[in-house]
Amino acid sequence: MERNIQGIFAEKLTQAVGEGFSLRWETDSKGVVTGWCRINDHSQITNVALIVSSLGGRVITITAYKTKDAQQREIHEIAYHFDLDGCTCTVTIEIPRDSGEVNSITPILKSADWTERELQELYGIKVVGHPNPKRLFLDETIDEGIMNKLIPLSVAMNGATSKTLWEKVFAATSKEGDTK
Amino acid sequence: MSTYTIPVGPLHVALEEPMYFRVQVEGETIVGLDITAGHVHRGMEFLVMRRNIYQNITLTERLCSLCSNNHPFTYCMALEKIAGIEIPERAEYLRVIADEIKRIASNLFNAAMLAHIIGFDSLFMHVMEIREIVQDTKETIYGNRMDLAANCIGGVKYDLSDEKIKYLMKQIDRLKKPLEEIIDIYINNKFVRARTEGVGILPKEEAIRYGVVGPVARGSGIDYDVRVKSPYAAYDKIKFNVHVENGCDVRARAIVRLREIQEAINIIEQCLKKLPNGPTCIDYLPEIPAGEAVAKSEAPRGELIYYLRTNGTDMPERLKWRVPTYMNWEALNVMMPGNKVSDIPLIISSIDPCISCTER
Repeated sequence: MERNIQGIFAEKLTQAVGEGFSLRWETDSKGVVTGWCRINDHSQITNVALIVSSLGGRVITITAYKTKDAQQREIHEIAYHFDLDGCTCTVTIEIPRDSGEVNSITPILKSADWTERELQELYGIKVVGHPNPKRLFLDETIDEGIMNKLIPLSVAMNGATSKTLWEKVFAATSKEGDTK
Repeated sequence: MSTYTIPVGPLHVALEEPMYFRVQVEGETIVGLDITAGHVHRGMEFLVMRRNIYQNITLTERLCSLCSNNHPFTYCMALEKIAGIEIPERAEYLRVIADEIKRIASNLFNAAMLAHIIGFDSLFMHVMEIREIVQDTKETIYGNRMDLAANCIGGVKYDLSDEKIKYLMKQIDRLKKPLEEIIDIYINNKFVRARTEGVGILPKEEAIRYGVVGPVARGSGIDYDVRVKSPYAAYDKIKFNVHVENGCDVRARAIVRLREIQEAINIIEQCLKKLPNGPTCIDYLPEIPAGEAVAKSEAPRGELIYYLRTNGTDMPERLKWRVPTYMNWEALNVMMPGNKVSDIPLIISSIDPCISCTER
């Protein structure tokens, strides 16, 4: 029996947030359904988590990224990827520039635990109400939000390693040339 | 009874990669666990945004060695979804064959580790010897024992001639008998049973709550396999069983992995029989428009997801992936308490952890 989990999700979402969302379903050539949802009010994400929980779903992962708003200012968006019985539904919210905070959904969906801690340390987005907000990967001495300002190693070293190497190579080859 | 905290790792004989566990024990019994990750964090999600979409096929394959094929495979599927590319049918089958060969080698490796940890080293050697058949096969067909470089945007980079098909058939045939022998040992040998049965229990409801995936989930009675739930490549055209065990312990997870090797052999055989003629790849270099896509696949350790955002340039705007092991770590908090200190490496190994994958 095929239960229409997408229909129930849409219905419950309308009950919870009214008109403040957009939602579309895509079906690929294999019949796999993918959902794309955007919610205007970021605080509603806990309601979405409650709906996913009631449908027996789980968090697959959460992606944070930077994008530009209408005034070309950088803003953070968070895309929550939920699993609804094989159907991946991505729910996107925008993080307010002034607070940089979002409510944790880990108390509702345990499967969000590690991934919320990760986005907190890499993007400096404060996850409010996380039961275990300690660092996941980075040492305490490294600033939060490192993904926002990381300097690549090659830039930091200004090509120093390859320069040193080639200086040696050139020195060696020019010596060979002298002796000939 | 006094309580102690035992540090396990980051470097430990039974862990191939670094992970740090602080295990609280009462006498010899584990009562709590604290996991510290981050020893091989390489910032690869940042790196992929500094490379173009074509270079990232090579980079994602180097995330991890045991499930290396799944990364470029899933990444290419995400790109193809954004660009609306339908890959040739032959390529779909060839992708499945590459993936299942990797699954056999990966699962055999974990089975061998289990034998090594419980001190059954002759079994360890035996399993590694069987795995060598698969390693040789990979080297002959793909030119490499670990990273196959099989995938590209719009198809695959390798083809199977009639001669190679015959060779592959012969090689997987060679696996069958020794595989049956070792599965019998893992299931029935009384020493193996004594060490694995009832150890590291993850009840079904806890498995659901923690959102675990792959053989860890299927060993706890959850019938979830991406190949069936959201089919991709040629998996919708192939008949195979999803093996589920209800033991919820180390033994159940091991049996699921071993049975999946047999299913993988069955899948490869079907693919070789059904392999349609035609091109193996699209014949143009596609342009990737702006868009977003998710792609999922069933890696040897479970569900792997890629989320990709593009903006019409060659550089990805954001590429995020979540590997199966990532979901399974927290479940150790359920599996560990109540077990003995000597079972710590065994339970950790039973989630088949991939740390370079987890930390990226």
